[in-house]
Amino acid sequence: MQKELLTRRAFFNSLKSSAGKSVILLTLPAIVAACRESERARLAGEEFTTLTEEEANEFDAVAARIIPTTSTPGVREAGVVYFMDNVLGDRREEQLALLKEGLLQLQTEVALQYEVAYFYLLDETQQDALLTTIANTPFFSTLRYLTVAGMFSLPEYGGNRDFVGYQLIEFENQQAWASPYGFYDADFAERGE
Amino acid sequence: MAQAPSASFDTREEVDFVVVGSGAAGGIMAKELASAGHSVVILEQGPHLQAPDFKHDEWGYNHNNDLVWSTRHGNRQTFRRNENEEAELQESVLGYAHNVGGSSVHFSGNFWRFRPIDFMEASVRGTIAGTNFADWPITYEDLEPYYTKVDWEIGVSGLQGPWDPPRSREYPCPPMPIKGSDVLLERAAKQLGLNPYPAPVAILSQPHNGRPGCIHCGFCNGYGCEVNAKSSSMVTMIPLALATGTCELRTMCTVSQLNTDEAGRVTEVVYFDGTGAEQAQRARAVVLCANGAETPRLLLMSANSLFPDGLANSSGFVGQNLMFNGYSSVAGIFDEPVNAWKSVPATRVVHDFYELDESLGFYGGGGIDGRHPSAGTPLEFALIAPEFFGTPSWGAEFKDNLANQFSHCAAFDGHSTSLPLPTNNVTLDPNYQDDFGRPAIRCTYMDHPDDLATMEWFRDKTIELMEAAGASNINGSYPETGQTGNVHLLGTCRMGDDPNSSVINSDHRAHDVSNLFMCDGSSLVTSGRGQPTMTIMALAFRAADRINQLAQANEI
Repeated sequence: MQKELLTRRAFFNSLKSSAGKSVILLTLPAIVAACRESERARLAGEEFTTLTEEEANEFDAVAARIIPTTSTPGVREAGVVYFMDNVLGDRREEQLALLKEGLLQLQTEVALQYEVAYFYLLDETQQDALLTTIANTPFFSTLRYLTVAGMFSLPEYGGNRDFVGYQLIEFENQQAWASPYGFYDADFAERGE
Repeated sequence: MAQAPSASFDTREEVDFVVVGSGAAGGIMAKELASAGHSVVILEQGPHLQAPDFKHDEWGYNHNNDLVWSTRHGNRQTFRRNENEEAELQESVLGYAHNVGGSSVHFSGNFWRFRPIDFMEASVRGTIAGTNFADWPITYEDLEPYYTKVDWEIGVSGLQGPWDPPRSREYPCPPMPIKGSDVLLERAAKQLGLNPYPAPVAILSQPHNGRPGCIHCGFCNGYGCEVNAKSSSMVTMIPLALATGTCELRTMCTVSQLNTDEAGRVTEVVYFDGTGAEQAQRARAVVLCANGAETPRLLLMSANSLFPDGLANSSGFVGQNLMFNGYSSVAGIFDEPVNAWKSVPATRVVHDFYELDESLGFYGGGGIDGRHPSAGTPLEFALIAPEFFGTPSWGAEFKDNLANQFSHCAAFDGHSTSLPLPTNNVTLDPNYQDDFGRPAIRCTYMDHPDDLATMEWFRDKTIELMEAAGASNINGSYPETGQTGNVHLLGTCRMGDDPNSSVINSDHRAHDVSNLFMCDGSSLVTSGRGQPTMTIMALAFRAADRINQLAQANEI
């Protein structure tokens, strides 16, 4: 297994160096273009200032597997990709470069394994399978960091829209609380400890 | 808050004192010196933020470092483990706020007094080979009146506990209401036969000195208080200093050098003002309250032909003996909502282990308190929860767990000793500069084996407590491979009677420069058991008393 992984990594690394020179590998079928339009609509039609539309689509798709929409809102409802767009343009050149390079590698794997050009075109099972193989990479760690940050930062940074992140964890951003704050201190008071 | 009337001095006018830094010590120093009638200029590198400027902005404060002085903002810092390594640029190594009030604005508010043993531990316990472990030149009894002065003038909430040192006056404010995390700690501690008691905090539990009581919003640690209930020097001392009419506060002023005359006395303080222009304020005397990183940096940057190794550095101890305090943290999940993210960080402490038994084979001691694992902040919690609780870090299960864990968790933290080592220090980095062209702060640090053993001991003890509390998913940690930064910046210009092994005397006067004083975390001889701000403030009141007496006697 380890040998296989190493071999695959070496293979992908060799592709990475050539991918920049050749776009044949990433040829875009017509269906992809349609999907891109669909994605643009899903991304609320807002302009991106730091990310390209392609990057936004891809990072949004990865983020949506990190904190997916379930019976409760996930990163898409929180607008996390807009948070990413904002903060990556704020003195985070190194992170942005790392993500761009990592995305290229991810798309190479997508193309090799599924013969499509974009991660966001994969179904959720395929996406999760692929992300599992890169879960320990700086690329994924950085996206996870930004996803979580976008979910739980103040909405003024672009994410956590309508405080859906705070609602998820039952955190209320209010100015004042009064004791008792929870079960155990209420119980403490009730027992007269 | 209405802006108090302020004095205004020309830079060529020789003022009585320049105070560098307006933080925990600087605010007190300025207020005390100005109240005695001296003309005082405070040079503060940051802005004068006030309560309306603060908000619950976790991304801005904790990830953009908007309140602290970091590489991101042009104040580069480097780190290395030992002198054989080349230090590498880091985002932040030695953390401190850059605003009026300094780190007293954004600190946790935990406010333990040192005990008598802290001032004489080397004599009682014995020196430790390879360290600069030493007694202080002052005792707890010398400092006790000033601890009490801090209690009442700064504003502290608490209740005398079974292990506390003697105090001459009760706390001005009662303790904070207990939180669920500390109910769990208290019950567990009592099961183990320990003696938990209310945590002293520099946050008002009720109105005091014209300020309101805490409203328990939960954003203390790393945040400025939005109602002025946290007893920072910004809200307690600076307004009084300015109201004297003899004190001028200059913000956005970054000091680069102290100039001396042929006699070796400081004559002026050179700084960059808010426009980046270089200025120099003339002064009869200077008090450095710039913190345990910036004070030694400034002295080292002020080397000249009379002081080739840095100002006031004949001992070679400027920047040396850097101490952080050790820490450990154990988190667990409970069946019912704890909601430890509300209110102040800690409301109970366990101080039964202030001095660990010598039979353990290592030196150390500390205290334990109950908290939220991420200081109550949602973003940080979501980042660390998978590692803390051994649960998935992404996907639907990650999301589901977060929904439950945030309000159902608690942490028991250990806070412990650091030994002063000749190998841990603040020096000037030869390869990096900040945006002003000043050499970057270079930190060299590796915890002593006894410090690591102490942290491990507290980690294990708090696991025991967490088990007794009935938690699941218990996980504990401490920096096993050594700390790589901290916000407690201690010991780097320490006080002592011997000019060969200390930088300042017990009056906080530099052994080498008669009109230069230092008072901040750098003055500490030993680290205490964490929570050093109370002692820094008490030292500032005492130092100001001594300096005022020397000035009155015309001995400066």
